[in-house]
Amino acid sequence: MASNAEHRLRKRLLRIAHLTGLFLAMSLICLPGLWIVLNSFRPTVEIMAKPPVWIPNSLNLDHYRAMFGGVGEGGVPVLTYFRNSLIISVTSTLVALLVGMAGGYAFARYRFKGKAALFVGLMATRAVPGVALSLPLFIIMARAGIIDTHFGLILTYVALNVPFTVWLIDGFFRQVPRELAEAAEIDGCTRWQAFWKVEFPVARAGIASAGIFAFLTSWNEYALASQLTRSVNSKTMPVGLLDFTSQFTLNWGGMCALAVLMIIPALVLTFLVQKHLIAGLTFGGVKG
Amino acid sequence: MSRLKLPPWLVLLLPAIIILMAVVLVPLVLSFYSSFTAYQLTRPDSLTKWIGTFNYRKAAGDANFWWAFGRTVLLLTIALNLEMLLGLGLAVMVSKVTTGQRLLRTAMMFPMMFSPVLVGFQFKFIFNDNVGLVNNALQSLGLTDVAIPWLVDGHLAMFSIIFAEIWTSTSVFAILILAGLYAIPQDPVEAAKVDGCTPWQSFRFVTLPFLMPFIYIAMAIRSLDVARAYDIVQIMTNGGPARRTELLWTLIGRTAYVDARMGYANAMGYIAILLSIFFTIYFFRKLTAARSELGMGV
Amino acid sequence: MNRLAMTSCLALAAMGMATAASADGEFAGITIEAKLIGGQQYEALYARIPEWEKATGATVKIISQKNHFELDKEFKSDIAAGTTDWCVGSNHSSFAAQYPSLYTDLTPLVPAGEVAEYVPANISAATLDGKLVMLPRAQFDVSALYYQKSLYTDPAKAEAFKAKYGYDLAVPETWDQVRDQAEFFSNPPNFYGTQYAGKDEAIVGRFYEMVVADGGKLFNDDFSPAFNSDAGKQALQWFVDLYKAGAVPPGTTNYLWDDLGNGFASGTIGLNLDWPGWAGFFNDASASKAAGNVGVAPAPKGSAGLRTGWSGFHGFSVTEDCANKAAAASLALFLTSEDSQILESSTGPLPTRTKVWEHVAEAAKSDPYRSEVLAAFQETAKTAFAVPATPYWIEATNLIYPELQAAILGDKSVDDALATASDAVDNLMRENGVY
Repeated sequence: MASNAEHRLRKRLLRIAHLTGLFLAMSLICLPGLWIVLNSFRPTVEIMAKPPVWIPNSLNLDHYRAMFGGVGEGGVPVLTYFRNSLIISVTSTLVALLVGMAGGYAFARYRFKGKAALFVGLMATRAVPGVALSLPLFIIMARAGIIDTHFGLILTYVALNVPFTVWLIDGFFRQVPRELAEAAEIDGCTRWQAFWKVEFPVARAGIASAGIFAFLTSWNEYALASQLTRSVNSKTMPVGLLDFTSQFTLNWGGMCALAVLMIIPALVLTFLVQKHLIAGLTFGGVKG
Repeated sequence: MSRLKLPPWLVLLLPAIIILMAVVLVPLVLSFYSSFTAYQLTRPDSLTKWIGTFNYRKAAGDANFWWAFGRTVLLLTIALNLEMLLGLGLAVMVSKVTTGQRLLRTAMMFPMMFSPVLVGFQFKFIFNDNVGLVNNALQSLGLTDVAIPWLVDGHLAMFSIIFAEIWTSTSVFAILILAGLYAIPQDPVEAAKVDGCTPWQSFRFVTLPFLMPFIYIAMAIRSLDVARAYDIVQIMTNGGPARRTELLWTLIGRTAYVDARMGYANAMGYIAILLSIFFTIYFFRKLTAARSELGMGV
Repeated sequence: MNRLAMTSCLALAAMGMATAASADGEFAGITIEAKLIGGQQYEALYARIPEWEKATGATVKIISQKNHFELDKEFKSDIAAGTTDWCVGSNHSSFAAQYPSLYTDLTPLVPAGEVAEYVPANISAATLDGKLVMLPRAQFDVSALYYQKSLYTDPAKAEAFKAKYGYDLAVPETWDQVRDQAEFFSNPPNFYGTQYAGKDEAIVGRFYEMVVADGGKLFNDDFSPAFNSDAGKQALQWFVDLYKAGAVPPGTTNYLWDDLGNGFASGTIGLNLDWPGWAGFFNDASASKAAGNVGVAPAPKGSAGLRTGWSGFHGFSVTEDCANKAAAASLALFLTSEDSQILESSTGPLPTRTKVWEHVAEAAKSDPYRSEVLAAFQETAKTAFAVPATPYWIEATNLIYPELQAAILGDKSVDDALATASDAVDNLMRENGVY
């Protein structure tokens, strides 16, 4: 009896610790971000005040109004930046996923000479510091005439994300027992059908997370975009953030407003796509 | 006419190889070449001024470079390990929740929605000593009556940068590990339970080994990707004050574009690549080992 | 609106006369590609471009809009890639010397009479190696001293100050007084006497002007370092003293201009040497707690009796590779014309044309704050000086600033720091064959 009560108590304590820990972690994760959201609605005088203003006296849409306003009134071509970001991120993510699935499948399913070396070589391309890359890349793209175009940036982001998608998807394909696909082939499927019907659904969780990563990397990338884009033709939102800085001043409230517009689509997309992670749950059933 | 028949694995890998060649390899050859020249951006003719290994010798003999090198290794080690531990903890906590998991998962990934440039500005303002959020909060709560120079003090400046870095990147670990947790076959866990293992034992001996490949994947990906912290550090401290937070990336970035000494910067960049490759191979080895332990094909 | 339209017509007419050959459709069919500095406060001017297009028949295509640091990177990349056949670029006096081959000499392209309309000091700072590389825009920057007026109206404070320092408390005229007052006003962590830019080119610029105000030089005429001198040590000591005394925020060595502006606007800083672009912001109640309490005085003087006056300005340049230099120069002239400058300076920035200075002063008459601002900046501008005209200026600042920071934070002694920085700059100049 006593041990049973002790057991229940421990269970309850564990549960409290779990919830407290989760609450603290989530606060740390969300507060700095929510601070940005809050700032976008506050007048500049209240944002960095001393003594601090903890409870906002006034919340308004001034920063948003200014941002969508005309040239010279604080206006920034937000919608154009948004469109550029969307086109570039979505396209490069899809391409990187396709290329990554092909590559990941090759690594997970085939044996060939020099596989380990090729794999590490592929990964090492990601290790190249952007600085060593950005200028020669710029020179080549300038010569090819694809500076300040969507295409140039899409190509770059695909290359940026491929090592990453290959690796991730490879990891997930490995989790799918080889016998599963072989069994399907014996049942009369072609290798292609076996892939789509058996292996793909099981690895879907991996592909979804690779997709989220690739999308967010492209959506938020700044260093290369600032080099390869120049005008409203292709400037993405992270580069647009710098429109709120001038030589001496920085409009933090305005920057926060644009940041919120950047975060919302990413958040919505993540919310929608992450449910595919659950697909991974079925894996246990498949194996069992 | 006989058609050239490529092995299927090569066909599958070809797109990846072609794209990486075009976007990474060719530019790399160019910049490798320029690291042996006195190349200055503003003087295109200097690209042909071959100076042998001068740039490499100069970097190797520069104490500031090696300090930056050491600091980068320190930052990588601390940040990656803490991110891994925190990410693991977070993933386990989230996976144990029964209701509202979808919301929690999204919230967990919240920092990943923030562009590194934005994170840089954000933490620069949060850690401002005079009107920043942290000092304001500490002073309001009566925890301190001095303005703590978060971005200036020798230890705190590194701490602040690591904090910002961890804030943005723990989610990456958490989400990968969470995906791994979902993929765990249930029968060994059930078996462990039946065998009377404590929750800790079954985590330590069943769950964790299974998660290791995921952890190593995340580690390796992050160690490659960590250079994007450049945006954050550049905005928060730009390597200062008095070089207290100088990292390889800030040093190289400044030399390359502000000083326009592309040749010298590329030489330092190539030394830095060795560091990245070391980390990559290290984690790749670990990954392979963890996989073979689990009996997955290499 | 009407007035603006009228004056712009007049200016167009004036320009027509000045450039003699200028007639409608002179540049018909020509497209001018331009890289213009982006950012809210700079872009109102570009709304005027259609007027120029209409008058000349040319078309302007803005192919890049970024802030100056990004633009600087882009120009350097362009030079490296050889993609410099665009025509008009935003330039800045502090960056201009870095691109000796990029921009063409405007002297043959702009009538001498036009050039004479600009403030002579700006034109001479825009002339490098005898080449006029840019036409100055109405974005002239020199720093004056912003202060909180209420600090000087409290009799108790004035008495205490006099008892301690032996002279009357008044808006400071010398940097020594600034130091005394800053120490006196400080009450950390809630209030600081002053602050200064603490990193990158900014701290070197501040140090540079202080060396000059103390009677020294940053570089000798052959660009060998000259700052490891008594004046240099005295100048650096000023920054060190303030930091040690806690009269500046402890994070000041990480401050750049935006931090400084936000700091003064938060009402926690007493005296603040800052740029004209902040004048409106500081006195705007929705942005600044100091609003209504802001005074502006000319920059104080150093021990040699000279004012600090590190200055710079924006301008427009025409590339050497431009196919239609005449049209490009006409656009640059239009963007810096009297009308354009009147438009830009109406929101605060300082002009670079003599007549526009007069116009601005006249227009501010009914606004005492604006008049005070203008008077202070005009006085400081009289003795302002640009950065040393060497292509290695920016690179030299990157060698100097970590050492200055080390001295301020106490990692090194003033002597040590200056000796190290001086050696590093000396090496840089030798390595590049400057002397």
